Amino acid sequence: MKRRGNRYSLIKTHFAIFTCLCIITVLLLPTSALARNIRVGIIDCYSGPAAVYGQDALNGFKLALEDINKKGVLGGKIEFMTRDTKFKVDIALNMAKELVLRKDVDVLVGTINSGAAMAVSAAVAKAEKVPFITWISKSERITGEKGHRYVFSAGENTAMAGKAGGVALSKKPYRRYWIAGDDYEYGHAIGNAAWRNLKANKADVEKIGESWWKPGEPDLIPYITAILTAKPDAVIFCTGGRSMTNIMKAVKATGMAKKVPIYIHSATDHAVLKPLGKEAPEGVLGTMDYHFYYPETPENKKFAQEFQAKYGTPPGFPAFHGYITAKFIAAAFEQAGSLNKEKFIDALENLEVMSPAGMVRMRACDHQAVLPMYLGVTKKEAGKDYIVASDIVTLTGDDVMPSCEEIRQARGK
Amino acid sequence: MDIQTVSLAAIGSHLLVGLSRAMILFIVSSGLSFVLGVLRVPNVAHGSLYMIGAFAAFSISTFVGGGTTGFILSLVFAPLFVALISLVAERSLFRFLYEREHLMLLLFTFALMLILGDLVKMVWGADYRSIMAPEFLQGSVSIFGSPFPVYNLFLLAVGPIVAVGLWFFSNKTKIGKIARAAAVDMEMVGAIGINVSWVFAFAFVLGCFLAGLGGALVAPTVSVTLGMDHDIIIEAFLIVTIGGLGNMWGAMAGSLIFGITQSFGVLFWPQFAIVFPYLAVVIVLTWRPKGMLKSVW
Repeated sequence: MKRRGNRYSLIKTHFAIFTCLCIITVLLLPTSALARNIRVGIIDCYSGPAAVYGQDALNGFKLALEDINKKGVLGGKIEFMTRDTKFKVDIALNMAKELVLRKDVDVLVGTINSGAAMAVSAAVAKAEKVPFITWISKSERITGEKGHRYVFSAGENTAMAGKAGGVALSKKPYRRYWIAGDDYEYGHAIGNAAWRNLKANKADVEKIGESWWKPGEPDLIPYITAILTAKPDAVIFCTGGRSMTNIMKAVKATGMAKKVPIYIHSATDHAVLKPLGKEAPEGVLGTMDYHFYYPETPENKKFAQEFQAKYGTPPGFPAFHGYITAKFIAAAFEQAGSLNKEKFIDALENLEVMSPAGMVRMRACDHQAVLPMYLGVTKKEAGKDYIVASDIVTLTGDDVMPSCEEIRQARGK
Repeated sequence: MDIQTVSLAAIGSHLLVGLSRAMILFIVSSGLSFVLGVLRVPNVAHGSLYMIGAFAAFSISTFVGGGTTGFILSLVFAPLFVALISLVAERSLFRFLYEREHLMLLLFTFALMLILGDLVKMVWGADYRSIMAPEFLQGSVSIFGSPFPVYNLFLLAVGPIVAVGLWFFSNKTKIGKIARAAAVDMEMVGAIGINVSWVFAFAFVLGCFLAGLGGALVAPTVSVTLGMDHDIIIEAFLIVTIGGLGNMWGAMAGSLIFGITQSFGVLFWPQFAIVFPYLAVVIVLTWRPKGMLKSVW
């Protein structure tokens, strides 16, 4: 009796397990066999001073996904995983490899650190043949001389910023320039681009000196007094991130903006100006790739309002680029009609998506998004407790981007 | 690019700029040096306390609506807030670890730095913060023909006050003398009936108070942000090392060397300005491997 009982219960258990497995298989079948979710791997900086940019970009990306996932893409959704690079190149590389090799992501996205972006582009995207879209790293070399089939940029770059600044400055009467900035990839890249374009448009300009400080250097007063001692006609500061706040404070404290004209790319960035409140210096010439208050189009207003409602703060430039990155990914997979990475890349080339700043195209020759640039001057405005960009002039993407021919030359082809 | 040719006036103005930077460095590194000297703890989390001081100054100043009141209140209460945190840390963690070897303490305070860094991110977020100097300390005056921010003049005044205060405390007050004695021979101090544990707590809190004060003082001149801790802690350790571990005047001398070489480097050879303070450290340590002044270790 005892043995039979045991055998019956054993059979019963086996039958139950078998049934369960069948049910699970049937349930999973439609998603696994016909469509699966698109996996996006995000490597960016979520700790330390650059976290503010990484987080903003991610928020913009998530906001776009809400709409996209309501409809779905190729029958599935877009899901994403984030990895914190801590602003370090080696960590970024490890994380990117992990996402590609172990999590099998379809697309890589990242990062605020240009050095990390270039390393991932060469050692992971190109080597493993995985599309990699940089959204806020600004070095022009990513899609310029170091560009290849698997890397895209949905953000602006230093060539665009430098050209915007160089062209704008060439229309001014200044001749003797001093260039100063953060001593790393971004600072030097933007300095070189601005100077190259300025020199090309106005042959008689002269660089009388340069100074470079470590990123985030707290005390910039000695640099400013040294520059003022040299009496240049105008100064180009090439800084980003927290150095921006430091330089704006030092400019204000020394009254520098009243003594000598200053150009800083991203001086008109709200992320820089808002924490300074009314303390920000007026009269600084700056270029910026996104303003939540300009252009005053319905698309931009809608984006800014939705973002504000969801995250309690207006979108910064990273949010804008994060948003269009999501749009590009969704639209390219739709057009490719499959999750094949090569087809995705083919579809993304020359693809146009609607963005808060109008239609944006992904240029096929260098995989760089064609984005406008806004030239403006910092100014107090009635009723606002922060300084804004005024007298904004819009430079179109074609105005500020290097031509495809120049890209081919840079890549040595 | 050539090395810049400069005038005497520029040298004078850069000397002042370097001195004012040295004051902040001194306030932070003297606190570190004090903790090193009395407790023998290489507190890597010192920089985090400096960062918390700056963030607390931001919160206090914003809470009362900025202005002169906000500034003064932040200068008083931000360091006290940091002192309170350090008191909790000392009583709950540090006091059980004094007997451990230095490597353990280094690892422990390093862990604490990471934890405090993440806590700051959780409490204050990743955004850049900024507070304004009060009305009477804004703007600049012309010294040697160069604009010199009034706030830096203020720093030039605060530095010596802190130095004299520290000297007075450690040489003229009873608890200061006990702390110095405990640094030399802890068991003997205990043997004559003094509660060494509380002397250590007091010394630790005082050192951390100075970190908080440094943070509150620097807040109006920079962006208050994550990562401030890393910047300052490396410089502070270098200063304490070249000055002589645990020696307050050594911290002063080290800060002056660090601040002034940096400022002159910018003036004379701006492309390579970053190198100068570190070069000075190398030279000093080659010349005197134990630091310029007498180390208490």
